[in-house]
Amino acid sequence: MSTSQVIYAGWMEIPNSAVNDETRLRAEDTALAVLVDQYAGALYRVAYSVLRNPADAEDAVQETFLRVLRHRHSLGEVRDHRVWLIRIVWNIVLDRKRRAKSRPETDDVEELARVLPSTGLSAEEVASAAQHHARVLACVERLPDKERQVLILSAFEELTSVEIASVLGITESSVRSRLFRARNLMAGLLDHQRSLR
Amino acid sequence: MKSTPHNSKIPCSAPEDSAGDETLRLISSLPAPHGLEDRVHRALRARSDRRGRVLSWPRRLSPQNGWMRTAAAAAIVFVVVGGGWGVYTRVGHYQPSNVIPMPLHMPAAGHFSSAGAMRTPQTLPGPVVVHPLTARAAQAKRSKKPITTLQPMRPAGSGSALKPAAEGGAAK
Repeated sequence: MSTSQVIYAGWMEIPNSAVNDETRLRAEDTALAVLVDQYAGALYRVAYSVLRNPADAEDAVQETFLRVLRHRHSLGEVRDHRVWLIRIVWNIVLDRKRRAKSRPETDDVEELARVLPSTGLSAEEVASAAQHHARVLACVERLPDKERQVLILSAFEELTSVEIASVLGITESSVRSRLFRARNLMAGLLDHQRSLR
Repeated sequence: MKSTPHNSKIPCSAPEDSAGDETLRLISSLPAPHGLEDRVHRALRARSDRRGRVLSWPRRLSPQNGWMRTAAAAAIVFVVVGGGWGVYTRVGHYQPSNVIPMPLHMPAAGHFSSAGAMRTPQTLPGPVVVHPLTARAAQAKRSKKPITTLQPMRPAGSGSALKPAAEGGAAK
């Protein structure tokens, strides 16, 4: 068969890959739907811990999965989907926070009192707790970026130090040292606040 | 920070401020809003549909069919060749002409028309302006050749402004 015949045959015939492509796309869609069901909540909490705004956090989750949709052909190459997704949403929320540079919504004491769980507490206790949480969050905001990021991620009980290191793209020993520094700084800041009152 | 099987590797010997950790844990354990997954599913579906509208063909018209591909190729060739032929026949060929087309003089709006009259530049030899002294010298040389010259302007009241340099040439 000459070269032109091969090209002609290739142009006219229905390629088998077309059927395979359709099947593959459906499989990827199903896999993506499973990922949404499984990790949307966790991603929301990660996004909310940084942005502290429900609408922004939800937007960040949607953007995460839209990015995954664009690169869904590489889903099979991902080893740990959870950490991979958390890393994506983490980068998105950091980028958003950097661009917005706005004060998180829940720095308002009233908003914190509304958002945080308060079962079995009186109205006064709720207000007092909300004030305390607002002060703590203000101290967290005053931490250096690296220390603050590790401290926020370490609050997620489902994330190990290895996974935090993977999300931040640093070594596990760096995570430990940064967490140590962050806690030292937080203790100092909170002591300073107590002494002022 | 609470030690769990997951994060047991994170050191707990650091100066721990339980209140700070408690606040962050509270924030990080807030439940996701109801229906978040559904909204994400909808957003993904909307995005997929938007892309699919371009790619999804009816099965009969699918570009995977051989005859459909041939027909599409033939239609493209027909349109391109037909379009080219149409342009070729309508535009015609350029033939150089010996006649130089004159520009049309369109009367300006609100003005009288020129009734087709053309402005013609003055091509005849006009009056030769010669300095009076030079003219007299030349006249003396040629003695009888009449030369028409213009004299310079004289002050007002001193007679006519223009006077022929050679009286013989001016007087007839």
